[in-house]
Amino acid sequence: MAGKVKWVTDIEKSVLINNFEKRGWVQVTENEDWNFYWMSVQTIRNVFSVETGYRLSDDQIVNHFPNHYELTRKDLMVKNIKRYRKELEKEGSPLAEKDENGKYLYLDFVPVTYMLPADYNLFVEEFRKSPSSTWIMKPCGKAQGKGIFLINKLSQIKKWSRDSKTSSFVTQSTKEAYVISLYINNPLLIGGRKFDLRLYVLVSTYRPLRCYMYKLGFCRFCTVKYTPSTSELDNMFVHLTNVAIQKHGEDYNHIHGGKWTVSNLRLYLESTRGKEVTSKLFDEIHWIIVQSLKAVAVNASPSLTSSTANDRILKYNLINDTLNIAVPNGEIPDCKWNKSPPKEVLGNYEILYDEELAQGDGADRELRSRQGQSLGPKGGRSRDSGRTVLTTWK
Amino acid sequence: MYSLEAITVIQMRNDEDLGSNASLQRPEIKLESLKEDIKEFFKISGWEKKLQNAVYSELSVFPLPSHPAAPPEHLKEPLVYMRKAQGSWEKRILKSLNSMCTELSIPLARKRPVGEQKELLNKWNEMGTDEPDLSLFRPVYAPKDFLEVLINLRNPNYENGDSLSFRTHLGLIQVPLKVKDIPELKEFFVELGLTTGQLGIDDSTQVPPELFENEHVRIGQKVLAEQDSAAAQQYIRQGSPTALRAELWALILNISSQPEDILYYEQLKTNVIQHDLLVDSLIYKDVKLTASNDDYYFVFEDYLYQVLLCFSRDTSVLGHFAYNSASPPKSYIRGKLGLEEYAVFYPPNGVIPFHGFSMYVAPLCFLYHEPSKLYQIFREMYVRFFFRLHSISSHPSGIVSLCLLFETLLQTYLPQLFYHLREIGAQPLRISFKWMVRAFSGYLATDQLLLLWDRILGYNSLEILAVLAAAVFAFRAVNLMEVTSLAAAEAVLADLSTLKVMPLLQIFLFATVT
Repeated sequence: MAGKVKWVTDIEKSVLINNFEKRGWVQVTENEDWNFYWMSVQTIRNVFSVETGYRLSDDQIVNHFPNHYELTRKDLMVKNIKRYRKELEKEGSPLAEKDENGKYLYLDFVPVTYMLPADYNLFVEEFRKSPSSTWIMKPCGKAQGKGIFLINKLSQIKKWSRDSKTSSFVTQSTKEAYVISLYINNPLLIGGRKFDLRLYVLVSTYRPLRCYMYKLGFCRFCTVKYTPSTSELDNMFVHLTNVAIQKHGEDYNHIHGGKWTVSNLRLYLESTRGKEVTSKLFDEIHWIIVQSLKAVAVNASPSLTSSTANDRILKYNLINDTLNIAVPNGEIPDCKWNKSPPKEVLGNYEILYDEELAQGDGADRELRSRQGQSLGPKGGRSRDSGRTVLTTWK
Repeated sequence: MYSLEAITVIQMRNDEDLGSNASLQRPEIKLESLKEDIKEFFKISGWEKKLQNAVYSELSVFPLPSHPAAPPEHLKEPLVYMRKAQGSWEKRILKSLNSMCTELSIPLARKRPVGEQKELLNKWNEMGTDEPDLSLFRPVYAPKDFLEVLINLRNPNYENGDSLSFRTHLGLIQVPLKVKDIPELKEFFVELGLTTGQLGIDDSTQVPPELFENEHVRIGQKVLAEQDSAAAQQYIRQGSPTALRAELWALILNISSQPEDILYYEQLKTNVIQHDLLVDSLIYKDVKLTASNDDYYFVFEDYLYQVLLCFSRDTSVLGHFAYNSASPPKSYIRGKLGLEEYAVFYPPNGVIPFHGFSMYVAPLCFLYHEPSKLYQIFREMYVRFFFRLHSISSHPSGIVSLCLLFETLLQTYLPQLFYHLREIGAQPLRISFKWMVRAFSGYLATDQLLLLWDRILGYNSLEILAVLAAAVFAFRAVNLMEVTSLAAAEAVLADLSTLKVMPLLQIFLFATVT
């Protein structure tokens, strides 16, 4: 068991490098014998591509699964969720149960979405059913809020019509594909502002599914008050919460970056809305995450750029805990690793879902939920809350 | 308990029938049993509870009955030298305000032109986006200015001689007020003891909820169902469950949002729209400098304007000056200086905001998101507690007593630390003063702050602020013993955001060898 872990990265970020160095790991180049490679998205593509790729050996770990883009790309994610739901339905799984209007009871967590230009005609049919609705257009392959806009008139997306003479879409290259979803225009507002959640989830193995959620996620607030008024559809500071966009707003504050911790959010919601509703909300969020993971694979590009001092500390600790789980005890990776890590190394991560444990003895599960391992501000969670109808989280 | 006449009067006022005679002539009213019937009516209708709560609320604020010949100033502040000092301080503040006014050629108040009124009304929910030029405004004073005044307070009747003895107080405050020692504090804060369950300690992950938390929540729900202020106040000494806190505080402060309260708030809002006050700019500046930069409270920036601008115009706040050592600043209509008929209070509520004032409101935004309710709660918190943190008085919850309590606790129970800090020119009060003036708002994490304020309400006293300040020093004593300058000491105590308040208090009061 001699030898230190050899690492490589092509992302020059201190939150990564400091973590490697403090473990006494040895930096090598990618042409040498490495154990751990924290790759940028481009590199991942190359490593796993059919033409230029190569097989990893048994003592090598990378920071993304081969099919990570199944979640990054919005069109693939939508396809995967739709396919997953159909599969469950076919199997007769109770998860796929629908109500009398045909809506999924437990799997209705993606708004009505279409691919453009492929589903243009289907979209138009749906649009005409409720012509006063607003829809949000998102480019499939981009992140950080780039290229997103809102529409409420068909003329605004004439370009994507397949019949359009002005269409420049002869090639239908995936780079220019968009997804269009029904825009939810009554979001929960705090201080009159819209916000979203940035949660970190680590997937250590995919089969069986073992994933962890970082307790210290955060919310990102818009700097401007929310208004569903149509005149403000163009104002991205109202509608998009990505920091990359908000950073350029006049009111952007560099000390706190418009963020709250998730535990803050929880305190606020419990104080103003009550405990039951808040616990239900968080349970449902965790549910969505696990179901999405089951449907697809892992997200590729969380931002490692830190916008504030607090942010830098958060990301440093996040990587630290991530490495503790992914490369336990600093041992040389071994693809045969299969045990669940002990509780002490989790740091600020919590078990979101462990397929092996879930499939274990039913009595064990009972015991665990009674001890209340809940993902709350104190760090516990009751897995069975409100889901006694379902026989399984398995 | 209540006189029959009083009961009858109230009963009649609530009667929706014609005149008072009409109700007495109803068949169910029997003259023989009138007294008992009315008492019964009160119980059933819930009015008895409401009366009790109202009476309890008054008792919380007013001091015990005093000598009938005592003049009203004694209700404000019994000690002459304190009254004088407060008077001089107020003169200074007003002078500062007036000179800013003259320098900037801005009137203390002006009516807004109609166009401006319309604009403000449209922007009412997002005043934070307004960027008026505030660079020329300065806060009227900051806590450290106030501290200098307190340091120079002297009782002219007290001569403790030149010789130093072990009884000499080595701190900055040099007035002889009575403060509690640890045995007395242990008695006063008995519910914080080691053998009593606490939220903030016994609800942590490692403790199974069956041991304390579940039962405590159940009792809390019962207290709310009973709508009993006194019971709520007793209950909250052990902390409030997050989901019940908003209601419990409202019950203890005796706030219920009636239509007339909402109307009153709307009226204040109209006043804001119609008139612009100089203090408005001070409020804007304060919010921008403090709450807008806070990790937790920046989200609520707009609520803060909506509360504080209305607060400045609320003349009902003037009522609290009956028991506040401070008096509202008086200004005179131009050209009528000295003529009482032309005197106005400025600002209308008599309270001039200082640097950090908006932090009194900010934590409340975590509990109340309806503006008029938020407003009422803040106003009541101010006239019950916060005003004591920035007026000079001998009251046990007044800032002077809190400072003295803090220093005495340190000198008595952590003498080595106290002496060391004093030697290196880092008098502890210079660091802890700002914490106490703000009731720790902006220094502690929000959930911890709310647990602390639970106890302020529960014990109807601000003394816990001084105890916490001392407990913080005790907690960081090891590091503090190693510093050699005031700046270094400040650095050790700069970040309190990771502190857990209740364990600190409990250890300091109940687990330290005295």
